[in-house]
Amino acid sequence: MSSTAVSERHTATEPLRVAIIGNPNTGKTTLFNALTGLRQRVGNFAGVTVERVEGGYKMPDGRRIAVLDLPGSYSLSAGSPDEQIALEVLLGRDQAHWRPHVVLVVVDASHLERNLFLASQVCELGLPVVIALNQVDAAAEKGITVDVPALIHEIGVPIVPTVASRGEGVEPLKRAIVTAASLPAPERRFALDHDILAALAPLQVQLEADGFSSSAAAMESLRLLGVSSKEAHLSHVADLPRHLEGARDALRALGLTPQRVEAEARYGWISGVVARTMTRRERSLDTYSDRLDAVALHRLGGPILFVVVMALVFQAVFSWATPLQDLIEVSIASIGRAVGGLLPEGDLRSLVVDGVFAGVGSVLVFLPQIAFLFAFIGVLEQSGYMARAAFLMDRLMRRVGLHGKSFIPMLSGYACAVPGIMATRTIEDPKDRLATIMVVPLMSCSARLPVYTLLIATFVPALPLMPGLDLQGATMLAMYLLGTVTALAVAAVFRATLLRGPVRPMILELPPYRMPAIRSLAISVWQRCQLFLRRAGTVILSLSIILWALATYPHTTPDASLAPAQQQEQQLANSALGRFGHAIEPVVRPLGYDWKIGVSIVASFAAREVFVSTMGTIYGVGGEDDAALRDRLRAETRESGAPAYTPLIAVGLMVFYVYALMCMSTIAVTVREAGGGRLGWQWAGVQFGYMLALAYGAAWLVVVVGRAMGFAT
Amino acid sequence: MTLPASRELPVCNCPLVDSETGSLATVVAIECGEREACRLRALGVYEGAQVSVIGKRHCLLVDVGGTRLALGADLAGGITVRPQGRVAS
Repeated sequence: MSSTAVSERHTATEPLRVAIIGNPNTGKTTLFNALTGLRQRVGNFAGVTVERVEGGYKMPDGRRIAVLDLPGSYSLSAGSPDEQIALEVLLGRDQAHWRPHVVLVVVDASHLERNLFLASQVCELGLPVVIALNQVDAAAEKGITVDVPALIHEIGVPIVPTVASRGEGVEPLKRAIVTAASLPAPERRFALDHDILAALAPLQVQLEADGFSSSAAAMESLRLLGVSSKEAHLSHVADLPRHLEGARDALRALGLTPQRVEAEARYGWISGVVARTMTRRERSLDTYSDRLDAVALHRLGGPILFVVVMALVFQAVFSWATPLQDLIEVSIASIGRAVGGLLPEGDLRSLVVDGVFAGVGSVLVFLPQIAFLFAFIGVLEQSGYMARAAFLMDRLMRRVGLHGKSFIPMLSGYACAVPGIMATRTIEDPKDRLATIMVVPLMSCSARLPVYTLLIATFVPALPLMPGLDLQGATMLAMYLLGTVTALAVAAVFRATLLRGPVRPMILELPPYRMPAIRSLAISVWQRCQLFLRRAGTVILSLSIILWALATYPHTTPDASLAPAQQQEQQLANSALGRFGHAIEPVVRPLGYDWKIGVSIVASFAAREVFVSTMGTIYGVGGEDDAALRDRLRAETRESGAPAYTPLIAVGLMVFYVYALMCMSTIAVTVREAGGGRLGWQWAGVQFGYMLALAYGAAWLVVVVGRAMGFAT
Repeated sequence: MTLPASRELPVCNCPLVDSETGSLATVVAIECGEREACRLRALGVYEGAQVSVIGKRHCLLVDVGGTRLALGADLAGGITVRPQGRVAS
């Protein structure tokens, strides 16, 4: 253990490892994107679903630099799982053993005082540090100027002024990082009282005995005074609670409040540094951000603006993406036909056209919507509006026992539950987090969209209701609302039962409004699209092939006297898929579904989008265009001759999809994020179970009530 | 000593939540859960820091060293401040 905790010198053969850390909203990720461009890998930190983004670049002399973007942190005292990870990496106790050679601290020039708190902690870790003084342009606009040479002298580390959003200062920063690798690590720049040092000494000795460098042990012993929760990276330090309590008692005996010691010592030093290095013109509180906030946070105007912004996002996602989707659909269909034409008639051609192109194609169509949704969420986040939205929603969220911050994961859930659940990592309270994780998959994600679109376009007439809204649009909106309202209700239930406890008080930074950095945004959206494409190329491709095989084998000798459509029907009914469908039909019968819908539902438990591709495969019309499948569904009849699908059944089916958790990726993320191992599986089980019960119950209710009201099933 | 006029600020320590919009104050004590106290200090709300109240909704909007924070009313009730007058606007 001890070998990982001491500073390792970088050798020329391996890449220089650089970790980037900074307060949230300092432009840290934008700087990371400016440094590494598209050479990035998104993954997870071992054991937890905190996103781990690693990238790299080359110096002109060919030296390779590996960069790790650590989660935004206000301090090294972990309040959230995010900050815990940052600390573990910096201390070399991350399970992946990626200890940086150099730490790059991103400091917002406009908020020097608060940012230097984290920077001063990092400077005591025993690693070489470089500071990027970012957003110096925004600071200058506010009349803030920083004397950089004086600041370098005060802190004792290289400091490079940057404007990450425009790429300014990035080259000098790259040079400074390489130079810093051979510089000695900085040291604490303020002196603690002799009495305080004596009180902390036993704790510090214990930490050193456990492998911490003397500098890191000094930092940790001071930091831990204010930390009440257990931190995983210290779990094996012998007798830590006793030594910590001993240090606190010794400080109390001196008449001090232990929890205040670190903040007073650091800020005491920082205020002197700021006074000597920063000048600001006479400041009025009324910045442009405040003027915007006068509207955005207005008692009445705020909620109205919020609804308008959300409506705009949805309108854009669903209408602007359409031309691109049409283009993808047409291209895939024509490629499929072209490739099919090259193959001889038979099973291979059927596999390629009906299996691969029909299955994967029906899902790829949703790439534009996913890109738009993530782009908008990115814009809302980078512009600073997301924090205002969380502030506005806090009141509502609190009523159901959640924190305002739970709003952000829930909004992301409209795009995809996976990043939504990962976004819960900014919520500090474990019960708040779990309750949010449990309900995020109820938000209608983009994978449900193909199901809604297919069913609405097929069975709901475009009856105009009011200008700009027809019955089809209203049905779509109703599905989204149903999921959202249920999510809030279920959260309230969880917070009153399994996850009972007080709601943590709101502490939220409202960052200044800012123009989003387009390049950085594009990189993030591209990452999301890549993840989606990878999924389409793996999970969905393999499922499509399996389904095709199940629907094709065993072969039935066609009855030549029947029409081609009926021959196909016969083949399907006798295939492995058809037999399985008939076996499970009694389960879905009460919902008014036939075995074909049953099969599609079962197939889509891996991923919802598969419903549409399965229907396409079953009816042998996928890969062409949606209209063919729609016509086929409308014409489909049961053995009795009655239509197999009615509007009532379609609505029931949509409600089923609103509620059912049919996504392997979500289950995997929940397992890891809810604590991993047995605990994680238990929570994932609870989530899957309650959602399935809700889905079945609600779909059944729709059919029963609908029948009573005289609708046909 | 005369009684302060109704619009005048109290000169004794008071909870932050009772400070008026536009008032400037120094933090005297933070009493809340340790986790929140730790977070507040990292955000620049520490004993001795200057805060100004810039708005009141269901939460308190405060400025600390140029950072805008939204603090829950319950939390702001546990932060004791000494009023320092009003912010020039």
